[in-house]
Amino acid sequence: MKKTGVLSIFAACTFFAASPLLAADAGGDPAAGQRKNTMCIGCHGIPGYKTAFPDVYSVPKLGGQQAAYIVKALQAYKAGDRSHPSMRAIVAGLSERDMADLAAYYAADAVKAAAK
Amino acid sequence: MMKRIVLGACLLLAASAPAVAGDADAGKKKSTTCAACHGPEGNTPTGPDFPRLGGQHYDYLVKALEGYKSGARKNPVMNPLAANLSRRDIEDLAAFFSGQKGLVTKY
Repeated sequence: MKKTGVLSIFAACTFFAASPLLAADAGGDPAAGQRKNTMCIGCHGIPGYKTAFPDVYSVPKLGGQQAAYIVKALQAYKAGDRSHPSMRAIVAGLSERDMADLAAYYAADAVKAAAK
Repeated sequence: MMKRIVLGACLLLAASAPAVAGDADAGKKKSTTCAACHGPEGNTPTGPDFPRLGGQHYDYLVKALEGYKSGARKNPVMNPLAANLSRRDIEDLAAFFSGQKGLVTKY
């Protein structure tokens, strides 16, 4: 009984410790995402940077964005449901794991962004 | 010398921020449909895969909504919603959401 009790507490702690993490990063690893974002920073890492082709407009801010939404957006580029040529070329080289990791990295600022 | 300073200042001002054509107050009044999924200021989405909009760039929001309206950008929820928006509505909504605090540029 005692052992079961300890196990239950352990299980509960693991659950509560893991649940906000899962909700926040959709299964990705933010540290891994940071190592994979060299293709992103040339546009998304520069404040006010604009795409020049095919239209001129500011590239979206990603810091604090929802992880699951970032993954969905990347998948939409891969599927052709979004058309931006640079993004379509870049996602062609991303695995599902890469997408989840990148999403987790950019989403990691959600709390900070909400407080601003 | 003075002319150069004035010219430089003008160039800086012109380059600093995208021109916001929309009316943020009007956008707020038009944003009740958006709030159902994106949250009242675009910062508290009701689903994990709905984007935050607060603080996003004005011209990107315009571009995204125009894409949903034209069908160039495909999403089963956003396409029919954007189809009912005028250019004026899109600019007003973009002005409202871009004016909120929220998203940041992350390196």
